[in-house]
Amino acid sequence: MTPELDTRLFEPGRLNLLIGLVLFLIFLFVNIARAKRGASMFIRPIAGLAAIEEALGRATEMGRPVLYLPGLGDMSEVGTLAAITILSRVARRTAELGCDLEVPGYDPVATTMLESAAREAYVQAGRGDSFRPGTVHYVSAQQFAYVAAVTGYMLRERPAANIFMGSFYAESLFLAETGNVTGAIQIAGTDQVTQLPFFVCACDYALLGEELYAASAYLGQEPIQLATIAAQDWAKAAAAIIVVVGVIATALGHPEVGRLRQTQ
Amino acid sequence: MRNGPLLVTFFTGALLVAFFFIPHHSAQKMQSVMLDWANVVYAFALILGSITLWTVHQRKVTSRAPGWAFSVVTLSALAFMTGAGVLQGVEEGTLVNRFYNIANYHLVSTMFALLAFFIASAAFRAFRARNVEATLLLVTAIVMMIGRVSIGEYIWQGFPALTEWLLDVPNLAAKRAIAIGIGLGAVSTALKIILGIDRSYLGRS
Repeated sequence: MTPELDTRLFEPGRLNLLIGLVLFLIFLFVNIARAKRGASMFIRPIAGLAAIEEALGRATEMGRPVLYLPGLGDMSEVGTLAAITILSRVARRTAELGCDLEVPGYDPVATTMLESAAREAYVQAGRGDSFRPGTVHYVSAQQFAYVAAVTGYMLRERPAANIFMGSFYAESLFLAETGNVTGAIQIAGTDQVTQLPFFVCACDYALLGEELYAASAYLGQEPIQLATIAAQDWAKAAAAIIVVVGVIATALGHPEVGRLRQTQ
Repeated sequence: MRNGPLLVTFFTGALLVAFFFIPHHSAQKMQSVMLDWANVVYAFALILGSITLWTVHQRKVTSRAPGWAFSVVTLSALAFMTGAGVLQGVEEGTLVNRFYNIANYHLVSTMFALLAFFIASAAFRAFRARNVEATLLLVTAIVMMIGRVSIGEYIWQGFPALTEWLLDVPNLAAKRAIAIGIGLGAVSTALKIILGIDRSYLGRS
């Protein structure tokens, strides 16, 4: 007996998610329209991102490389996408300053994307010829083999700045502690909640969760990019209202209101 | 052609978002095919990655760069494991499988065991009572450590309940707040890339 094929065109259990997505898109387009009209987009100062410029300057003065670690995520993880966009900004600045950049990759597909983003950033900075082949290179897709290679590099080359951006797991403390021993200025950002305490302990600056995603817009300071952060803040306010309404409704004996947030 | 990558990103991203809401068997089959394509891309990228790995380390060896001896080990291991894998496969009893179990498995375990020392050194630095926040962290950590071991209950019966409260109320509230921010940030980042608002992954402004 063959299993019955699903012929439905919509999954009703995901209606709430679709509404949320449409709402987010509306917030996004409203804020982009505001940005195009010249409305000011305030974004609170993020110490960790402001410190990137300082770290790159320090590396240039010391004549030592900048180590950029994009995490262990693959291309299906948003943290990796954020790592690629931040690398693009960092690479453009290292190209302008003329300081060495080292990017060891974990996932082969992500490494290819990172290499392409870094190369293009050098070209955009007008320093395409100074992009060194092997700046972004694949190391290993084995967690602790990757850790061994990177910590070995840290101890031998003593980079002046270590920038950790992306999805990190058990290796976060190995990398950050080794970097701490070498005396490098360390800036970390991850969307893995369980690894945040390790980065907070071992790094000079840590970007908490969503700050990682805001980094690219923050570093670029382009109005349309900043508008997306404003849209995110509006969505956060909407989420807070939904949570409060759900709590009040449940307390008043209407738990079905809270259950509207459940998905299939 | 300059906008080719943006169009590919837009159509692929939009289709995958749509497939999440469409349970129709044809849509799910197409999604599965697209995920298979991702695996094919991954296989080619792995070859490309191995070539760059070889090139980078070969350059280090030929120029006698600092630590070039490690590069010799890397190149030898890469050549040996690739050759053995191609000739014999990777099944139980083959050279690749035996070397994986004899060398790699134990090296990974050793590395993982080192984590305990890294945790101790990080904790020592984090738990110094330099200001109010650090003192609060120190006190919470002490309560947590005592409350999670059996002797804690002998010292004071309330320790286990206190640790549970710390985990389930202030800790969980903070974690959920961060998780909501991450969730919204992830959606925002994905939409920025799908819609072509953020092109910095292509190295463009």
